[in-house]
Amino acid sequence: MIVLEQVSKSYRSKDGLISAVAPTSLEVAEGEIFGIIGQSGAGKSTILRMMNLLEAPTTGSVIVNGRDLTKCSPQELRVARRSIGMIFQHFYLLQNRTAADNIAFPLEISGVPKKNREQRVKQCLEIVGLEDKASAYPAQLSGGQKQRVAIARALATEPKVLLCDEPTSALDPQTTGVILEFIRDINKRFGVTIVLVSHDMEVVKHICGRIAVMEHGSIVETLDLSGTGQKPTTEIAKLLLGDRREALKGGVAYV
Amino acid sequence: MFDNLLSLMPEIGLAIVQTGVMLFISMCCAVLFGIPLGVFLYFTGRGQIFERPVLFRITNYVVNTVRSLPFVILLVALIPLTRVMVGTTIGPVAAAVPLSIASTAYFARLVEQSLREVPKGVIEAALGMGATPLQITWKVLLAEARSGIVLGITLTTISLLSYSAMAGIVGGGGIGDLAIRFGYYRFQTDVMILTVILLIIFVQIIQFSGNFLARLLDKR
Ligand SMILES: Nc1ncnc2c1ncn2[C@@H]1O[C@H](COP(=O)(O)OP(=O)(O)OP(=O)(O)O)[C@@H](O)[C@H]1O
Ligand SMILES: [Mg+2]
Repeated sequence: MIVLEQVSKSYRSKDGLISAVAPTSLEVAEGEIFGIIGQSGAGKSTILRMMNLLEAPTTGSVIVNGRDLTKCSPQELRVARRSIGMIFQHFYLLQNRTAADNIAFPLEISGVPKKNREQRVKQCLEIVGLEDKASAYPAQLSGGQKQRVAIARALATEPKVLLCDEPTSALDPQTTGVILEFIRDINKRFGVTIVLVSHDMEVVKHICGRIAVMEHGSIVETLDLSGTGQKPTTEIAKLLLGDRREALKGGVAYV
Repeated sequence: MFDNLLSLMPEIGLAIVQTGVMLFISMCCAVLFGIPLGVFLYFTGRGQIFERPVLFRITNYVVNTVRSLPFVILLVALIPLTRVMVGTTIGPVAAAVPLSIASTAYFARLVEQSLREVPKGVIEAALGMGATPLQITWKVLLAEARSGIVLGITLTTISLLSYSAMAGIVGGGGIGDLAIRFGYYRFQTDVMILTVILLIIFVQIIQFSGNFLARLLDKR
């Protein structure tokens, strides 16, 4: 579903090029919930944002749904993006629009007629259980409710892929659970492929099938969390997976 | 003491109309040209999606220059342009030319500032949904910054009101001009007081309606 081929990202700065992501390849299968985990600055957001080309890779190609996004014209890219939803840690809702109008926004910009829009908005509000908040403004909603509106908005155009950048990092543990259930539910019911970035192993363990562990701009390990459970081999993965004793035995001075 | 006022009633009425004409024309221009200019400054600025350092620097420089000239100088310097544009250099319509240019530069800056307050993440979210630059401008930037823009219009109108007092130099007339001609040069204190009261009332009305509308539009 998503194929990253030797993508890298570097930024120009005063002291030359900074590499945020070293050439990395990654494949996410259709219908899976894929996690990307790593410490702050590891390059998780950068890699996720390459999947809809919000971040254009310096080298390499990004193939989503069979299309090489790096080869698309601006117009083709806009069309391709309609089938890739995205949610963020800070929600990024339009503050001057009601919940319903926020969900209608992606439909509006892709030219869906008003009547169909209203219908779809209603369905999406139902999916996230916020029918009663249709006419509330974001300022009147709790963090969890805002994220549910953001999820509904991301789903409005019936995307094949949902990219989630730390979707629960601004929420309390209980609300985190609710949001993760919604994400899992969307994956099951609609077969949406999900990529979820988090620095919190609990979140990832909760819903992901496979995960990639990132450190200093590279994927150091890919693990399958389902079934018998593959043992992590890198120190950073052991640390993040909470296998602290093993990590310490390996002589690592994190904590 | 108030005997001057009665005989000046028609003049005062005319002055109010002249001020109205100057403000109306220049505010229309400010909105019509200042918003696109503000949007342009925003988009071409550092770190924005259409970053164009050279274009930005030139536009920025022009806007700063217009804003740094004392209005009287701008008024006189633009006389040739005014003649070309409206065929005359006297009267409120002629005075509206330099007023429009000053207010466009001022308002554009205020628009640019309000747009900067829209979180970048919101724009990225829209980009990620496949929004075109035009859709982002209308439906995200201007829609999210609308209350700031209304306050910008308020502020620009009030500045214009005081700029327009200098329009007397080119025979523009208006309330401020009346204060200078009668109140200042002819020592008619009552005229001075009346015009000051009128100006205070106008400023209050403009500020109050601006604040009210901004609050109404702000759902943040
Ligand atoms: N616009 C930029 N300019 C320069 N460097 C950048 C830019 N964006 C990201 N970086 C650098 O790239 C690296 C990876 O950043 P990224 O945001 O992907 O990290 P992350 O894993 O998502 O971290 P966090 O958990 O804190 O969100 C960081 O070292 C960061 O400083
Ligand atoms: Mg991040």
